[in-house]
Amino acid sequence: MDKEQLKLQLKQQIIESLNLIGIKPEDIKDDTILFGEELGLDSIDSLELIVLLERNYGIKINDPKEGRKVLVDINTMADFIEQNTTKQH
Amino acid sequence: MLYIHSTSCISAQHTFDDVNLVVLNPVEENKLLAVEPNSNQIPNAVLRRMGKAVRMGIKAALSIVNNQSELKGIIIGTANGGMEDCIKFLNQIIVYDEGTLTPTNFVQSTANNIASQIGLFTANKNYNITHVHRGLAFENAVIDAMMLIKEHPLDNYLLGGVDEISTYNYNISLLDGLYKNEEVKNNNLYEIETAGSVAGEGAAMFLVNGKKQNSLATLRAIQTIHATDEKIIASNLKDFLASHLADGEKLDLFLSGENGDCRLNKYTKITEKIADTTTLRYKHLTGEFPTASALSLWFACNFIENKKVPNNMVKTGSIPTEINTMLIYNNYNGIQHSFMLVNR
Repeated sequence: MDKEQLKLQLKQQIIESLNLIGIKPEDIKDDTILFGEELGLDSIDSLELIVLLERNYGIKINDPKEGRKVLVDINTMADFIEQNTTKQH
Repeated sequence: MLYIHSTSCISAQHTFDDVNLVVLNPVEENKLLAVEPNSNQIPNAVLRRMGKAVRMGIKAALSIVNNQSELKGIIIGTANGGMEDCIKFLNQIIVYDEGTLTPTNFVQSTANNIASQIGLFTANKNYNITHVHRGLAFENAVIDAMMLIKEHPLDNYLLGGVDEISTYNYNISLLDGLYKNEEVKNNNLYEIETAGSVAGEGAAMFLVNGKKQNSLATLRAIQTIHATDEKIIASNLKDFLASHLADGEKLDLFLSGENGDCRLNKYTKITEKIADTTTLRYKHLTGEFPTASALSLWFACNFIENKKVPNNMVKTGSIPTEINTMLIYNNYNGIQHSFMLVNR
């Protein structure tokens, strides 16, 4: 899977797991800030995203500081997955 | 004595905004699914996490607590709470081998989530409690409210009953004989002489206090019984009426919890005979669920306030011109029974 496919898959997985009502993958840009005003995610969502990474890509985030760097936008998440993935995605 | 000042109801029928109990939404696949109203009071970011029971409870509650003086308590009855989320969470435990579990389903599955979310939305930090006594969950919430009002008659309380249908629970209850195997419609639920009923869900909320002035209705008395012998139900009902009706006072209406389950007809028949008045039924509108009695109280308030009863709810007798005193009888699964005496 190339990087663009990975990003699209990630957007679909985020929408599904967080039940983002009325949002489509194309509504989330690669550099849309996940937490804050743009997408409006909160601390409970960060836990859901950490679980999403573990379940779908076999990646564990144990260090909260690392989580802050990874869960910025789709670009940072996709980069992190590419560098650390242990599952075929 | 508990005075009801405001009510709201979300059910499978038109009971929320424009109330219409004449044109009925049909039973589909032996379920009466609640029609959820749109609400702009709940942000999408919060709404997306909520299960149906929580959404119904909050929408019904917010429609009557806004612009009211401060609530001194939020008292909710729910047998199952967010059952659908509970099942999702339990499935996650199995699928992910107790490993990566997400918080949302767990948080949403707890029974007290409905009352606590109402507390959060109304910024209310007062008494907040959830009663979960299965088929008597709402009745126990009523008893709690009555005791509080006896001590603090000027205080306002939000009282409600909520339950949702979950697919998993429906299947378990179907196997347990709670629901009919054959297809049923609203108009033949009581005619098919088989075991089981149709599944239902809904939420009814009441703003209550101890002040008679400007009240819609009065809940004079309530009694709960755990029994399977209809003779015990009959003797309790006779005592209940003897204790709470004035000399010579007659019931204008009897609202029966008959649900089409032939095994439970012995209870509804004997209570109907003792009530000795016009009998109404409501479970072809709501379906059967543990807190359906909350909806029966909403129906009683609606009839008393509007002085109208739809013909489709009348089993026997004629609709009186004046509706002053109503008896509500409900039973859940033939084990948990309740009587409520409601007045103008």
